[in-house]
Amino acid sequence: MVRGSVWISLAYLLTPSFCLHRLENYKEDLRVKPLRDGRVSTTFSFLTVLEDAVPRHPTTLELPDEPQHYALFPLTLGQILREYAITELHLSLNAGKWNYDDWGHPPEVSVGTGAELWAWMGVNEVMTIDERWSGLRNALSGLFCASLGSLDSRRTTSPVVAFPLSGSTPPFAQHELRHASLASENVCTENLTPFLKLLPCKSRAGLAELLNPQKVFDADWHGMGVHVIWKEGTGVELKLTLQAVFNPVRTSTGKRRDWSLQSLFDRSIEQSCPVANYSSVTVVLPEEKNYQITPQPPVQVDGLAIYDLSSTSDFTIPTNIAMHWSNEHRFQYPMPPLPALTPLSVKRTLHGTTQTRGVLSISVTNNSPQEILAGYLEMIPTLLTLWMHTLKVEINSDTRSMTYSHKMLPLLIIVLRLGDLLSDLKYQPPSPQPNGHLSPSMLQAALTIPPKSTLKISVEVDKAFLKYTEHPPDAMRGWDLPGAVFFPLSKSANDTSSSYNWERIYTPTLLVDLPTPDFSMPYNVIILSCTLMTLIFGSIFNLLTRKWVVVEIKE
Amino acid sequence: MDRRPIVLPVLVCLRFLLAVLPLPGQHLLKHDHQLSSPLTSYLRLKEGLWLFDNDVDPYMGGSFHHSPLLLSIFSTIIPPIPIIWAVSDAVGAWALLQLWRARQGFSPYKGTKSTAESLIVSAYLLNPYLLLPSLALSTSTFENAFTLLALMFAAEGRPSSALLAIAFTIHLSPSSILLLLPILMLLVTSPASQLASPRQFQGNLYRMASLFVECMLYWFVLVGAACIMADGGWNWVKASWGASLMLPDLTPNPGLWWYFFTEMFDHFRPFFLMVFSVHLVIYILPICIKFQHDPLYAAFLLIGVLGTFKAYLTLADPGLFLSMMSLFPEVHGCKFFFSFFSPPALTPTDSTDLRHPIVTTLLHLHAALLLPLQHVLWVSEGRGNANFYYAASLVMGMAGGAGFVDACFAGMRIAIGDVKVEGKAQGQGQEVQWEVAQE
Repeated sequence: MVRGSVWISLAYLLTPSFCLHRLENYKEDLRVKPLRDGRVSTTFSFLTVLEDAVPRHPTTLELPDEPQHYALFPLTLGQILREYAITELHLSLNAGKWNYDDWGHPPEVSVGTGAELWAWMGVNEVMTIDERWSGLRNALSGLFCASLGSLDSRRTTSPVVAFPLSGSTPPFAQHELRHASLASENVCTENLTPFLKLLPCKSRAGLAELLNPQKVFDADWHGMGVHVIWKEGTGVELKLTLQAVFNPVRTSTGKRRDWSLQSLFDRSIEQSCPVANYSSVTVVLPEEKNYQITPQPPVQVDGLAIYDLSSTSDFTIPTNIAMHWSNEHRFQYPMPPLPALTPLSVKRTLHGTTQTRGVLSISVTNNSPQEILAGYLEMIPTLLTLWMHTLKVEINSDTRSMTYSHKMLPLLIIVLRLGDLLSDLKYQPPSPQPNGHLSPSMLQAALTIPPKSTLKISVEVDKAFLKYTEHPPDAMRGWDLPGAVFFPLSKSANDTSSSYNWERIYTPTLLVDLPTPDFSMPYNVIILSCTLMTLIFGSIFNLLTRKWVVVEIKE
Repeated sequence: MDRRPIVLPVLVCLRFLLAVLPLPGQHLLKHDHQLSSPLTSYLRLKEGLWLFDNDVDPYMGGSFHHSPLLLSIFSTIIPPIPIIWAVSDAVGAWALLQLWRARQGFSPYKGTKSTAESLIVSAYLLNPYLLLPSLALSTSTFENAFTLLALMFAAEGRPSSALLAIAFTIHLSPSSILLLLPILMLLVTSPASQLASPRQFQGNLYRMASLFVECMLYWFVLVGAACIMADGGWNWVKASWGASLMLPDLTPNPGLWWYFFTEMFDHFRPFFLMVFSVHLVIYILPICIKFQHDPLYAAFLLIGVLGTFKAYLTLADPGLFLSMMSLFPEVHGCKFFFSFFSPPALTPTDSTDLRHPIVTTLLHLHAALLLPLQHVLWVSEGRGNANFYYAASLVMGMAGGAGFVDACFAGMRIAIGDVKVEGKAQGQGQEVQWEVAQE
């Protein structure tokens, strides 16, 4: 049975066609990792590679495109990429807050809450990057049923240092980045269904069979991503990812952390995808050996158990992969304080009790024994005005071994070191855009955080008073502020190799409570204000134009 | 009876003391929306200076609306320390005093009746409407000082200084263009009070035109200087003058514009912006024509218009109007202003021609108490909503309007004088009362 489908898929791939034909290959992988707080992190990655393909040259945008033939690569997405000559595209739709301290770095780094879209495009004079960006947003919002069309110039910035090209830089044009995020975007089944339609086997065969919306969207954190990268030797890579962090302790009856594919997804893999070159389930084995995993992993390397589910392998599809801790009666949460799993822990808060102003404060803790050089990026829409002249940096060392006699000395040290704690400060204020709105303000800085210490940055902010028409329907809820991004920086200019073990850290989103006008009042305000002005104008008019007479008072 | 004038130096010293001493709630005053508007706020001034120092265009962001001249002064010559505001207050009080002396015909260097002069100086330096914005380091203090300087120079008959001062005022706050015509009229006539005896305008219109050209010349030089200081761009025009016309920032203030344009739909916005701006301008000609015999009074009335209907109103604008009321004792009738040495134009009675001074005073008192209260209830405590503050701003509008209408009426009524005629009806032998009215 399996061999039959293998022959069919091979015959399909080798069928000649009249159009431009490229070899495509498709790989899928599910990575399951039990976390220390009883949760299970699952990452699906579906990788389709269009070999020897090149992104469309932007100067060919005026001419009709040559016909493209895809066998495995999704046509709808391919058409969008060709229509707007996109070199690199990243879209992520996430819900929840990724807990870096307990869960470590995510396998797919774009875990900012809400929708985040960024694209690198080549410059062209005929169809400008902004026009193509607007077309791309609307096309993707139609494709994924997400409100990406509202990521207009009010939310678009260009942070090239934090979001560099992941693949190769095409030599044909100067490239620019457009990045926008919408933190209040909700993710639901309408976004998953078109996502699955981009896969060759849809959700009928292979690992995508497991994606049960009722279970995935019940997870503590879930997110899906679409990443299109061009690599020079390989071609155009499309990676579709779906990450979900499940909580078996919450959903199981006995508060146990045992999990199985059936218990997590309520589905099982019936058949493998015939067109997949490689399909596997990788389980990251925990460090303590008090668990049992069934069935026995055929390949176990580097603390990973790999089950090869490809149709070409000899391995029969297991109905269920399960891990249980039979010696545990119920899961005991590890007692705090726990060491953070990432070298950097970040926290962002908005202080203030009034609706006019507040203080935005970021605290970055370096848990490792080495100094970390990180970049800090803040993209704030114009609902908050940053008062940059009130920017303050404080360092608060964890070792409080300073005695009273040395109290003056640390102050001096603090003063001297503030200059190199935060360097390379770049602030781009909101700039007026053609549609009359203001772009977000962008704040970038290079932070040098000494080992085992906490750096606190605080800046006063003012909350904006918006027009009546600019408020959303649920105006009393407030607005979501997209998370700040921390990214690694190299210490010297020639150390450009990516030797970091982390790529980006997102802070959680914040809710900004703006003062609202009374929405029932437009007519009343107009008539009251105009009445007052008219009364005064009328009185003055009468005074100035009437003539004075002397009249008799009648008794 | 000729006491040495000590009130001005004492009050100036007290003001300097307030500027230097750290008062407990002073940093909160800077954030208050009654005392400073987005066009005059100290925080935005500091932000613009920081952006300027860090090679970012301050006018791009929509948060800085001050003039490039202020930017250049505070970034190169002197930082924005509170002493400058104290000096500006002192200059304003001195200018008001000189204006009084010019109007009364006294010599500018030697005052006579100290009570009136001390009251005038106190009316400027102790007016809470002017003192609190000055403590909040709002740049409206500079605008008021330049306005008073322009009026003082015009009253003393020094055209170039007056035109330079009014050019500065118009540059800092474009709504002050309302005061250009009265100042030109004042320069070609005298500041002495002619309210009681109105007559045709006797100045030379051609001289007025040449003075206008001179003022435009000064204004163009200032615009050129501002362009150079803003690195050759025109962004600052849209950000600083365009703010009064287009109202980009809808921060609440005691004026009438902000809530009106918050609740306005986008379709009607340009029309109503035009209406509100034209509304300010249409008062110039009628008031100047009606009060052509006393241009200083016309300037005073136009300051009243600005103090009620300006785009980004703060408390400093009605404050200037109320303080300047002290220059016109024939209108407000307070007996401490009269002396044996007054010129005969003043009527030495204790009566006032203001129709409803009590109403105006009480409305101002209500507004001054309601505005901060409702503001706190709305944005800080969340127990009220925007309508509370809007109602308080309407009371402020009524207070300003009442004062303006009152002053206009009194200025005209004084020309009619009292009706002493008591006619006898034929054959009845009864006395008939007469009164003055308008029809």
